[in-house]
Amino acid sequence: MPSAPAPPAATAGIELRSVVKRYGNQVALRGIELEIRDGEFFCLLGPSGCGKTTTLNLIGGFVPVTEGEIWIRGRRIHELPPHKRPVNTVFQSYALFPHMNVRENVRFGLKMDRVSRAESTPRVEEALALVGLEDFGDRMPAQLSGGQQQRVAVARALVKRPAVLLLDEPLGALDLKLRQRLQIELTQIHRDVGTTFVYVTHDQEEAMSMADRIAVMNDGRIEQIGTPEEVYRAPSSRFVADFIGDSNFFAATVESGVAVLGDGSRVPAAAGEGPATLMVRPESIRLDPGGALRGRVVQTSFLGKHVRIAVETGAAEAPVIVALHDPSALPAVGDGVGLAWSTGDSVVLEPEPA
Amino acid sequence: MTAAVAAPAQRRRVARIGDGLVAYIGFVPAIILLGLFFLVPLGIIVCYSFWETINYSVVHHWTFDNYHYFFSVTAYVSTMWATLWVAVVATALAIVLAFPFAYWLSRYVPRRLRTPLLVLVIVPFWSSYLLRVYSWLTILGEKGVLNWVLQKTGITNHPLGVFLYDRPAVILVLVYLYFPFGALTLYSSIERFDWNQLRAAMDLGASPLQAIFRILVPQIRPGITTAVIFVFIPILGEYLTPQIVGGTGGVMIGNLIVNFFQAAEYTRGAAVSLLIAAFIVVLLVIFRKSLSAKEAYGA
Repeated sequence: MPSAPAPPAATAGIELRSVVKRYGNQVALRGIELEIRDGEFFCLLGPSGCGKTTTLNLIGGFVPVTEGEIWIRGRRIHELPPHKRPVNTVFQSYALFPHMNVRENVRFGLKMDRVSRAESTPRVEEALALVGLEDFGDRMPAQLSGGQQQRVAVARALVKRPAVLLLDEPLGALDLKLRQRLQIELTQIHRDVGTTFVYVTHDQEEAMSMADRIAVMNDGRIEQIGTPEEVYRAPSSRFVADFIGDSNFFAATVESGVAVLGDGSRVPAAAGEGPATLMVRPESIRLDPGGALRGRVVQTSFLGKHVRIAVETGAAEAPVIVALHDPSALPAVGDGVGLAWSTGDSVVLEPEPA
Repeated sequence: MTAAVAAPAQRRRVARIGDGLVAYIGFVPAIILLGLFFLVPLGIIVCYSFWETINYSVVHHWTFDNYHYFFSVTAYVSTMWATLWVAVVATALAIVLAFPFAYWLSRYVPRRLRTPLLVLVIVPFWSSYLLRVYSWLTILGEKGVLNWVLQKTGITNHPLGVFLYDRPAVILVLVYLYFPFGALTLYSSIERFDWNQLRAAMDLGASPLQAIFRILVPQIRPGITTAVIFVFIPILGEYLTPQIVGGTGGVMIGNLIVNFFQAAEYTRGAAVSLLIAAFIVVLLVIFRKSLSAKEAYGA
């Protein structure tokens, strides 16, 4: 190639440029443009089949790219085999080596790099201490719990001090309580080592709780990149709004700050003109006898931290979901209610294709 | 007082012994079969090996002469070493060929195609052992396929006799005969392997070969040992293949045993048979450790 493209800015930990991946006729990734900053905790979030694991495998080198380039810290790496990339992976199944004890598992990567035993021993102990397993070095993987195995997998990958740590749904096999604990631990480890983490998950809560930034993927494309707050408060598409958190959608026509819904009611809406989809989060809606949108309560559910009310309206096909944190004035099923929200809590999205 | 306390415990123990007996009833037919057709004949052979043959009849006179005789004849001892050598080489080749096959089958071949491929491996067993060995004569012989091809392609202008009636021919046919045992045994142990481990190893900096030898091979060691046993031990006792394709140059210890018995030297034949058996027992004791994977993994 005559003109080599300029290396990306020094702050870019990973850069994907127009990356396309095809399997035969099937397109898995349709032109991914992605810049992950050095030291960032970055989540690839999406439903199964969206391309998030393929993206991870392309960075890890387990799958060749069809088109495009991958750069890590100013080096083009997409033609290198996995063992020559400054990248290590924590697999969903952990993939610990069952015939080696924990210490040998963690040492394996250093051994492959021909690091002397004198140097590797303290690094192995350091990595084990990082994940809180300093007393488990002599155990075999089969003698560990799922959470401990997970930590060994993290230590084994981090002991090589990679530029990037890839994590492929590493908590997927664990129960909820343990998962939440390890989410906290992983963010602490991330803060301690400062390595770039690229974390694949289909669990939006997991992504929201851990990531600095999230790329929401769908059908081989990145729908939106942003901080958890950005993708939650300002989703760029109906898919993102639907995938992250709970949401209510209304077909609407927007004109100067007011949306006219299907039943003719005029409700507050953020900027926009013409046909649109209006999205409002359940917790942004309040019951207001003077609310423009009228409906009938069809279900109330007590969910502990809040009460969820489903309201049948003429403006949306599905019942509108309202999350009430003040359970003092609960309507009964069958009651007529008015719904209201403030302009800033509504999001105007592209209209649904007819 | 004490008796009253002890009684239920005792009853429980009796019951447990009864349960134990019931559990072992299933073994009875096998024990009878083994005893009648293995242990008793083995005992007879052990006795024979320490008796004497005089004028074609076995005399119950205890002696070490049969063993002594075997080791005093240079040709016999060198045949023993040659047999070991042939068995080692043929086993090594069969395993070395079977490993890539099993690896490829369990890693890359879709599940629905595996059974047909495994059936293909077993297909040779549908024809008689003798037929399979004899057919090699029509491949390796002077008028065989190999010579025909060599002459047609002009590589030689006269038939070559070097392919048959020596150890290489024996080894070739033995590898052909025992490859399926190695392939099936290795496949069944590789099949359960978690291939993510190889990816993890390569992710951690191992080359593909390093990943295979440091991660896969140690974990399928019991399977490899089983395959070696399944191939090596029957080869040690082979006598038809060396006789048919090996000729005088390919004689193995099995042929010696056959010769002794055909010459009515039962006691010498018995001694040689036991030598092989003793060797195999030693081998199994050595292999015993590497057959148990559980111990190694601390599961």
